[in-house]
Amino acid sequence: MEIINQFVLIGAALLLLAILASAVSYRVGMPLLLAFLLVGMLAGEDGPGGIVFDDVPLAYLVGSVALAIILLDGGLNTRADSFRAGLRPAFTLATVGVLITCLITGLFAAWILDLTLLEGLLIGAIVGSTDAAAVFALLRSKGLALKQRVSATLEIESGSNDPMAIFLTIALVELLARGQQTPDWDLLWLFLLQMGLGAAIGLLGGRLLAWLLNRLTLESGMYPMLTLMGGLTLYGVTAVLGGSGFLAIYLIGIVLGNRSIRDGRTIQRVHHGLAWLSQIGMFLMLGLLAAPAALISGAPASLAIAAVLMLVARPAAVALCLWPFRFPWREQAFIAWVGLRGAVPIILALFPMIAGLSNARVFLDVAFFVVLISLLVQGWTLAPLARWLKLEVPPPPAPDEQLDLEAPTGRHHALVGYRLTAEGHVTGLAARDLYLPDGARLVTVFRRGEPLDTATAGLLQADDLVYVLAEEAALPTVGELFAASAEDARLAERAFFGDFMLHGDAWLHEVAAAYGLPLPPEATGQTLAGFLTQTFHGRPVVGDRARLNGMELVVREIVDGRITRVGIKLTPLLPPAAGSGKNP
Amino acid sequence: MDITDLITLERIVCDSEVASKKRVIEVLSELLATGQPDLMARPIFDSLIGRERLGSTGLGHGVALPHGRFPQSQHAIGAFVKLAKGVDFDAIDRQPVDLVFGLLVPDHYTDEHLRILAGLAEMFSDRSFCQRLRETDSNQALFERLRDWQPAKTPLP
Repeated sequence: MEIINQFVLIGAALLLLAILASAVSYRVGMPLLLAFLLVGMLAGEDGPGGIVFDDVPLAYLVGSVALAIILLDGGLNTRADSFRAGLRPAFTLATVGVLITCLITGLFAAWILDLTLLEGLLIGAIVGSTDAAAVFALLRSKGLALKQRVSATLEIESGSNDPMAIFLTIALVELLARGQQTPDWDLLWLFLLQMGLGAAIGLLGGRLLAWLLNRLTLESGMYPMLTLMGGLTLYGVTAVLGGSGFLAIYLIGIVLGNRSIRDGRTIQRVHHGLAWLSQIGMFLMLGLLAAPAALISGAPASLAIAAVLMLVARPAAVALCLWPFRFPWREQAFIAWVGLRGAVPIILALFPMIAGLSNARVFLDVAFFVVLISLLVQGWTLAPLARWLKLEVPPPPAPDEQLDLEAPTGRHHALVGYRLTAEGHVTGLAARDLYLPDGARLVTVFRRGEPLDTATAGLLQADDLVYVLAEEAALPTVGELFAASAEDARLAERAFFGDFMLHGDAWLHEVAAAYGLPLPPEATGQTLAGFLTQTFHGRPVVGDRARLNGMELVVREIVDGRITRVGIKLTPLLPPAAGSGKNP
Repeated sequence: MDITDLITLERIVCDSEVASKKRVIEVLSELLATGQPDLMARPIFDSLIGRERLGSTGLGHGVALPHGRFPQSQHAIGAFVKLAKGVDFDAIDRQPVDLVFGLLVPDHYTDEHLRILAGLAEMFSDRSFCQRLRETDSNQALFERLRDWQPAKTPLP
């Protein structure tokens, strides 16, 4: 009894410590996952904690479940509209990309560690996939909104490339365990089984789960749990049948996240919390599992492998995979750098241990080192790099509060709350005279804690909390109107999109004529939307900009894949002549 | 940009009662043609409305900057209308517009055109300045407020 209580105390205290550490890591800008890993290492055998933890099967079990939960949450948050910009490049990266990364890293690892070719490739496979937890955490972190082509590609890639790395690892471990030296056709069959089953069960199971959620009447807290257990059960079914459970559960998340399901927002919220807990638990445990003292001896070789992975293998894989999609170089450079490795390599490095391979400990140490370096170097530099490469876009206007209404109207309604700022669009306007989009209505204004009637609230003030009842279709417009603008001056609407807004179907030559600007011949006879779509190879995203003599066109809004609004920044070519400066 | 190069007292109207975007542009066109023997209101209107068709010049916060080009004019001219009650201008933020500055530049201006527009956009993004304009009740006072505007010492955030 006593020992169990001690387990509870130690486990909970460690988790609590990790959660508290996350607050500190925000302040110093340290990647969160690194903070969790460090807490685990400090508590572990070589740290002041001194806890000895080397239960590999348990670590593998916990790691797998945690990863499944993280992928489910990632899927739930992946919007179908991001497929337009990111699906095909991400899919290429998740398959061919992993293979290329694995080959380059593997060949180098075999050479520097003096291993057999297959053993080297196994290292390549183990560190082959980018980490969903780390990338999701980065992309969802408040205050960093990236161009959709970049964020969608990274997000879908990181969610879907684990199955490929897992497949390669399993295949190589099996070959090594059987003492074979060359791959054979069985591998192809294994690949088809893993991916086919994973995809089929994921897509069908997601639909089934959505149907169940909408059919069953349960206690309100049960819907997130039904989602979780349904997802994990299907993960288990897939894995037992020999498919990729991780692919299945990620697809289940995507299916559920893009259907209208009962209590959808609560499900998302609960799963977001669960995913955090999984990440914390997983990284803590991996930190405990590590033996930092042992890592030091192999450090130079591991460091070289990490360097080759980050500076050669990943950039080469990204360049080859994205070549057909012709991403702008800035975006390609960023994607190449965001090859964040996380928990998956460490979990995968447990496979050879369980299989009893001879060099298993080496694989684990290398994997651990690579992850540590990746989190440290890449994790820390991502946000500044995104800024430097100008990949940020103004964050989407999210409400401070949102309540989805369940009224059976056939259309979805939500009550959204916004805290007004002094610079807000509506601050200073009369509450009763606001022009709201169709399907939206101002419900009440809270001022100094008191709910006011909209007819008598008078002029809206900074710090007012306004509540708007709106149909789903009107929510983006409502958001634009009420949400506070970005704190970063370069991302403020005017600075980013320019002073004026044009229709996507306006003719480019008419726009140029309106400002007396010459137009290159290839740009004539096109609409703004057509020109920008062509410039960005058929897949423009919000924030894409093209410069034409004195004007810069910025994609402002895309609806159903079509550019509907374009910002125009007018930039004089010559410095102002003397006497016509802004100051007298 | 010196605003007094653009605007004169005769081309300012305070508390106009017009009630539609089209009428505002008409009023502006007439103002812009005032005192310019070789300028006619109708083609000016066509030029301004043509620009509006590409996308509204409503900047948000109740301000619009209709602008057009015109072969006959020799230098840039402006006109300013303050509306008694805002009209729907299809602005960025969909809110009604009650401060409208019309700009007409000659065809031979290019860089100058962009520079004047940028200056006006900066001027009218000064929210407290706009608020002062709204509280003003005579053409003369509007003219003085426009003339006396100074860009903020520190660039706006």
